Amino acid sequence: MSLLEYALIGGILYGIFFALVGIGLNLIFGVMRIINLAHGQFVLLGGYGAYLLSARLNLNPILGVPLALLGAVVVAVPLYYAVVPRLQRSRDPEMLSFILFFGIAQMIDAILLAVFGADQRSLPQDALGAGSIAVLGQSFPDSWWVATAVSLLVIGGLFLYFTRTRLGFATRAIMANREEALSTGIDVQVVSAISFVIGIALAGIAGVFVPYMLGSISPDIGNELTTTSFAVIIIGSLGNPLGTVVGGLVFGVGTLFMQTFFPSWSNLVPYALLVIIVLIRPAGLLGRAVRVA
Amino acid sequence: MRVVRPVWLLSAAVLIFAGLMLAGALRPALAATAPSEIKIGTLYASSGTFAVASQGQYQGLQYWAAAVNKDGGVFVKAFNKKIPVKVIAYDDQSSTSTATTLYNQLITQDKVDILIADFGSVLTSVAIPLAEEHHMLLIDPTGSGANFFTKKTDYLADVSIPSSAVWPVPLAKFVLAQKIKRVAIIYDSNDFDASQAETLKSVLAEGGVTPVYYNGVPTTESNYAVLLHTIAATHPDAVLEFGYAPNDIAFLRDLASSGLHFNMTFTIFPGQLSALITKNVGAKALAYTYTYPTPPLVRYTSVTLGATTDQFVKEYTAASKSAPNFLNAAGYNNGLIVQEMLALAPQFTQLDFHQALMDMSGKTTTLLGEFKINENGAQLGELLPVAQIVPEGEGNKFVVIYPDDKATGKAVYPAPQP
Repeated sequence: MSLLEYALIGGILYGIFFALVGIGLNLIFGVMRIINLAHGQFVLLGGYGAYLLSARLNLNPILGVPLALLGAVVVAVPLYYAVVPRLQRSRDPEMLSFILFFGIAQMIDAILLAVFGADQRSLPQDALGAGSIAVLGQSFPDSWWVATAVSLLVIGGLFLYFTRTRLGFATRAIMANREEALSTGIDVQVVSAISFVIGIALAGIAGVFVPYMLGSISPDIGNELTTTSFAVIIIGSLGNPLGTVVGGLVFGVGTLFMQTFFPSWSNLVPYALLVIIVLIRPAGLLGRAVRVA
Repeated sequence: MRVVRPVWLLSAAVLIFAGLMLAGALRPALAATAPSEIKIGTLYASSGTFAVASQGQYQGLQYWAAAVNKDGGVFVKAFNKKIPVKVIAYDDQSSTSTATTLYNQLITQDKVDILIADFGSVLTSVAIPLAEEHHMLLIDPTGSGANFFTKKTDYLADVSIPSSAVWPVPLAKFVLAQKIKRVAIIYDSNDFDASQAETLKSVLAEGGVTPVYYNGVPTTESNYAVLLHTIAATHPDAVLEFGYAPNDIAFLRDLASSGLHFNMTFTIFPGQLSALITKNVGAKALAYTYTYPTPPLVRYTSVTLGATTDQFVKEYTAASKSAPNFLNAAGYNNGLIVQEMLALAPQFTQLDFHQALMDMSGKTTTLLGEFKINENGAQLGELLPVAQIVPEGEGNKFVVIYPDDKATGKAVYPAPQP
């Protein structure tokens, strides 16, 4: 029973973190209908930002969170205006974005490799707390709880943004129907640009915690993060950022249950779940709810 | 006007021609033209899971090539002269599919004389059938998967690391000698780690120990928190983890932050890439971990070929401005073995190369220890002892604790609570 409880609580924590990893990708797809294949690389940039803060400036890596916000503005605004409007004027923005962001992913990989080398990099174990916290008798490291708390705060903030702000309403309107939003006078370009920046910032914030949740960061794990993010958002609902939370939870709990009872098959989980969900509910677990909202 | 030639004149011409042909055929070695350079083909990974280890191995080979070329090249017995070496290397990015294409290119397009595999069993596994198909001898530096060496072959030689079928034997014997009964084994599902785990399990079984936990995880595994908890539920005294460096880092970090404690914890790569693992895991978290200490941590002072371990460390450090690790030493050792092979092979053929290696087997000691291969190409020498990482000042030191004839200290068992 203890193993079951441990896997369940661990899966929830792990899943909430992976919801944060994937949510930026879903936001960008939902608003712009473009596929950011460089998503995992933006997550890595957040991780390396935290690493630089810790290793070079001797600061707490948690400061990587505001740095990710700042970095997203610096990186994502020019990137958006250089790339996205042109993509959206093309005949097949989804396919073109696929190719274009694949190229960007390769470039980021190459830059990270040149700057940091292929070595694994980690953050100080005790920077987010040296102990552990137990819930229902199941104890997890402080870093897991901090990662979960930040993930919940960020996702909660995004929910408030969607439901309490004019920009959020406009964003949802664009996600529901871009042409109609345009006809109602919403400045689609500006709202999309803001969403793009938020999406990249969310990826960067998630990256700060990757060294704690996945042991270390290295330039080669970006594509794997992108793939896992895709699985998480498709399970939840492609195009519905908040559906990502459900996708993350299903992914996290499923993975850690498999690790507990059938460890050899644990990496099969995201893809098996993805196939099952696509076959049973092609719109994802929360697909219908999005459209109604 | 019709000219009639005498029959004897025609016969003589035929005989002279045949004689010339026969004479040519009987002196192939003398007639063969020595190449201007010996082409050594290999792969390395600039990125991906195996990048750190692969680049270390490649740097060691480059160091050897630079050293021999400075001296005029390698002596090639088949041509009775020294010939410079040229290393042709491509980046496989740790991908087996890319590696397959590039190994093929080295064999069929570059037509290399010597083929050396990339680091580790995963990237070596795709080279073995290609080498066999093209009748090329594959110099296998660090691909130790036991299933590579199941049949007699002239086209495979594991030169710088013991086969996984024998590698964990000292570790298993240490566990049995310590009378540890409850053993948990977690391994990555790849040739290298799975065959080590399998060997360990079978040697333990001979000593009457059945693991209380024995499971594989994906090679990409990076989260061991729940796995450690599951292992702890089986109440093991010893937890032995077989993975690559990224797995070891994740495993040791998760163990340190889990609050769990085991009397004995073993992982492979602290003994091979100690600087990398210490940087990521921290000296404190590594304390009392067991590992395989590899040269230069283990030093061979009496060698029959090349530099001693100490000489290598000194010379490599001077040339590269950084101290070598095991993979650098392994890459250098590949070069040494190839060098001696070329110096012994009477003909410049792959079969003669292989025979030369067989002739060297059991009679050669390098900075990695005794070179000893069997007819299947498996390395049975170069056995690695067991060491424990023990705190010393702010850092740690490696203490060899088994076998007794190599031991530099006693094991601290059970490991003290942090």
